[in-house]
Amino acid sequence: MLLPVNTKCECGHQNAVGTVLCEACGKPLEKELLESNEPLEMRYDGVARRSQKANPDLLDKIWNFFSSVKIAIYMIVLTFIGAMLGTIYPQASSFLSNTFDPSVYYPETYGLPGKIYYFLGLHNTYSSWWFIALLVMIGTSLVICSIDRVLPLYRALNKQQIRKHMSFLKRQKATYSAPLAGDAVEWTTQYGQALRKKGYKVTIDETGTALLAEKNRFSRWGPYINHIGLILVLLVLLARSIPGWNVDQYVSIADGDTVPIADTNYYAKSEGFKVELYDNEELPEELQNSGRVKSYKTDIVLYECTENCHDDFERPALTEVHRHTILVNSPLRYKELKLHQFDFNLTPRINAVSPMIVNLETGESYGPFHLTMVEPELNYEAGPYKLELIGKYMDFSINSQGEPITLSNNPNAPAFIFNIKGPGLADNGEVYMYFPLEKDKVRFSQDVINRELSKKIAIKVEGMENVDYSAATTYLNIRIDKAAKYLWVGAFFCMLGLTMGTYWQHRRIWLRIDDGQLTLGAHTNKNWYGLRADVAFALKRCGIELDPKSLDNGGHKG
Amino acid sequence: MGKYRKKVQVVVLLLALVLGGYAIFQTFTSDDDGLVKVGEQAPQFRLANLQGDPVALQDYIGKPVVINFWGSFCEPCIREMPSFESQYQQWKDQGVELLGINLSEDTIAVSTYVKKQGVNYTILRDVDRKTEKRYGLRSYPTTFFVNRDGTLSSVFVGEMKESQIQEHIAQIVQ
Amino acid sequence: MNWLQFSSTSLSAAFFLYLFATVFYMVTLAGKKWSKGDPKQHEARWGKIAFVTSTLGLIAHLLFFFTRWIGSGQIPTSNMYEFVTLLGMTIMIAYTIIFFIYKKALLGMFALPLAIIVIAYASVFPSEVQPLIPALQSNWLKIHVTMAALGEAFFAVGFAAGLMYLLRVIDFKDTSKNGKRAQRWLEFTLISIMIVIGFIIAAFGFKGMGYTATFQQENASVSQVGEITTTTSTVEYTMPPIFKPYNSEAVEVQSFLGIQDGLLETPSWFNGVNSGRKLNTVVWSIIVGLLLYGIVRLIIRKPLGAAIHPALEGIDPDDLDEISYRAIVIGFPVFTLGALIFAMIWAEKAWGRFWGWDPKEVWALVTWLYYSAYLHFRLSRGWHGKPSAWLSVIGFVIVLFTLVGVNLLIAGLHSYAGVN
Repeated sequence: MLLPVNTKCECGHQNAVGTVLCEACGKPLEKELLESNEPLEMRYDGVARRSQKANPDLLDKIWNFFSSVKIAIYMIVLTFIGAMLGTIYPQASSFLSNTFDPSVYYPETYGLPGKIYYFLGLHNTYSSWWFIALLVMIGTSLVICSIDRVLPLYRALNKQQIRKHMSFLKRQKATYSAPLAGDAVEWTTQYGQALRKKGYKVTIDETGTALLAEKNRFSRWGPYINHIGLILVLLVLLARSIPGWNVDQYVSIADGDTVPIADTNYYAKSEGFKVELYDNEELPEELQNSGRVKSYKTDIVLYECTENCHDDFERPALTEVHRHTILVNSPLRYKELKLHQFDFNLTPRINAVSPMIVNLETGESYGPFHLTMVEPELNYEAGPYKLELIGKYMDFSINSQGEPITLSNNPNAPAFIFNIKGPGLADNGEVYMYFPLEKDKVRFSQDVINRELSKKIAIKVEGMENVDYSAATTYLNIRIDKAAKYLWVGAFFCMLGLTMGTYWQHRRIWLRIDDGQLTLGAHTNKNWYGLRADVAFALKRCGIELDPKSLDNGGHKG
Repeated sequence: MGKYRKKVQVVVLLLALVLGGYAIFQTFTSDDDGLVKVGEQAPQFRLANLQGDPVALQDYIGKPVVINFWGSFCEPCIREMPSFESQYQQWKDQGVELLGINLSEDTIAVSTYVKKQGVNYTILRDVDRKTEKRYGLRSYPTTFFVNRDGTLSSVFVGEMKESQIQEHIAQIVQ
Repeated sequence: MNWLQFSSTSLSAAFFLYLFATVFYMVTLAGKKWSKGDPKQHEARWGKIAFVTSTLGLIAHLLFFFTRWIGSGQIPTSNMYEFVTLLGMTIMIAYTIIFFIYKKALLGMFALPLAIIVIAYASVFPSEVQPLIPALQSNWLKIHVTMAALGEAFFAVGFAAGLMYLLRVIDFKDTSKNGKRAQRWLEFTLISIMIVIGFIIAAFGFKGMGYTATFQQENASVSQVGEITTTTSTVEYTMPPIFKPYNSEAVEVQSFLGIQDGLLETPSWFNGVNSGRKLNTVVWSIIVGLLLYGIVRLIIRKPLGAAIHPALEGIDPDDLDEISYRAIVIGFPVFTLGALIFAMIWAEKAWGRFWGWDPKEVWALVTWLYYSAYLHFRLSRGWHGKPSAWLSVIGFVIVLFTLVGVNLLIAGLHSYAGVN
């Protein structure tokens, strides 16, 4: 549009192109708007929002797209619909096992819907490209929406003229007009005093017959502060993908073990995991004997490696740096490291036994000798017997070919093969297979395996005090989250902005008295009910009683 | 904003593009640390051999190296050992090194099997499963074929037939 | 009488006071027509009586809360029963606050029945004090749950006002397509409320009869590696089995109306051990609810919405629109703080991460996004009035799903509702 548009208002102020209401006196500038009688659109006080200029180029078009509230709403709606879809079936990330195979799990468990779910990638909804893209777009919109609005708003509110145009006042959504007897200046002052009692900041112009009362302007900035907070939150979410900023792993520690915490220089030792259940007297009838847990706790000692930390050959040198009893709501915190109680296993794990070797012919027993499951000694002496360890299986079993194998590296069914020399035995020694655990002795028929030798000697553990075991294994979640603290800053601003914008409202009342005629207009961004009450209150103080509802001029629609 | 408007628009949209692009890009590449990828440097380690002496991957730079992770509890690992032994004998004169890293079992378990299988290539002992974690192992056996310059040529997960071992070694010998 | 017994009595007192208050509100409303005196005075007088009664009820309810706290040694917010009664209490608090702002007694006509239904719903669940499991042993339990409940209570009041707006504004004499559609959706909303009431009646009814039915179910489950294992489990029903669990055999079924075994079988694609029972419960709720609706409809001979409409004629719809909006606006920051921020702080402490896309967390986010969209909608002119009212109704459905639906339908970290 190349025709020059006259934007100089009759009050003398030069307005920018696109201004709806004169920045100074508030007179509607467009002819149609001037002639209509509809309540005025007071967004940004009618100041030109520069994103509305003519001939937008591509950059402007993109900018306007993100600046639009309508588009923002679409994005919010799409985001929450997408989020809902992700809750239909459990997400893939909730399965911790290494062997989880989503292409098998979803179709198998849920049939055709599961297959579709997997095919659409919904099993990873929250890390899918379209969901992240939506969040990115919301973030961009937050930035652009705010920049586009906060500056014109600031300009509009910073310099406000007191004496406004008549049509401006009469077409506010709360308005009052009446003849007034008595001294105009005195009345104005009185009205101003009444409003000051309600907390308004009142300015009266030089003539003394026009007034602007304003309250809680700060609440207008609320939404923008809120948006800044949200932008920060989104940035924090993004920052988590920086390597090292977000560590989320699991470690299992059997009682007494010290394990390295991967990707860090820390080692953790479990000094014991305990489950405590509620006694029956602490439970209501329905829950008696239900095994309701009272507390889970793990006593942890945290070590830091000081030497040989990256060398696998040398053992690392550890110094203790911290101790803590981890409870579900009380993780171990040390510098940026956190260890949380995640899960546990009460299967005991045998660590060592101290058996006696018995000469079945004489009835004498010798020993004990200390036999560990992991890295046992190769040679033992017990009385006249010399035992040489020649083979070991951590988790004994027989395979399909009838050969002995070990199923795992855990002492689930330990078996030791000794070559034993001693009284009554061959000079080169005789081979004996020993299962420390009773269940295995039976399962694998230890006596049958050892044939004749089982009648001559026996290896047995006397009493539980000669058994060294870990009663439980604790599973801990290891977390390092460098971005988390910024999240709380973002959340704080978000709340601050919300509170500012919601629980206080920006109210303005303009008034002018011309030749005995009082004209009043008032505007607020929300809660017209309260605004009308304020206007009526002050009017009452000045002798004019009316029902606040009568001030309404379309304000009920806002 | 006035005359700075254009500049502000450009800066903001550019930032959005870069950060947003990065975020979306992440969704395509993030899978939890899997195995070491082909082309990357094979992670370093320094482990004890059966005699108790330290052996480091670095010692073999300039030579093609085959790293096979095995455990005595892993049946397919045991099954494929003779194939590896045979291939080792075939290629060792061309400078190929074969390292059999045991999955953190104790001395006696390792020595029992090595003796039983009659293995002649270098056996190393991993400690606390550190090396296997560094290589990103998920299942056993897994074999890594390393070029002379230390970069990874290929990875094979699962039991290998002798012909397959041969193919992969042929790649790194070049 | 010990603390817990006293608290129980307090709740009953509150319940009845709320009932009386509802009746008084109805008198306030209806009495305007047949009162001999000045209708405005009548409204003012009875309105005051009703409000005083509802406030007394709230005091009794607060007593219930605090004496239960003292008696059990832990804040009563840890299982479904406690949480839902808390919600009833916060709804009354929200209502009272809104009343003080707007002094509109008529809002009580809907807010109070809402609180009553909520408390009745709570009573279906086991009410014994259940000692806190480790995850709940934290001060954040007090802060997160109470604030979230308060935020949701304001959304509930917004819903009540929105529903009132629709009943006030939707013209049942309108025969246009749009008009008919609006009437049908409104009637549908009212029927849904009937179904909730149906659930409560069914649950109490069958519980009163001591009804039980037991089934032995065979479950085939797929492990994460695709292995299939079968287990048998016992499922107990407290309502006659219209739908028996999938792949199950009746062990012992009390006879009811000739039902001696499951009439139908729950389809296999329903997931979870208790899915058959849940489906059965839903079906019974629908049946009883529709029966109730049918009876009411027969008596009043017109759609329920049309019947309630005249009662609201005295109220200015724009006031209702404003109240609905204001309630939601007040509740939104409370909800943000309680249901999201405090929840994140607590999650970080207990589980090591402040956000994990757990279904409950996701639905809380969905609720938040929904209401934030609502607030942005209100920025534009055309969305006041009817669209806004419908949004407040749908919003409350989402809140209910977050509170109840997620616990019952979806498994996750949050399922400690104490539901049987």
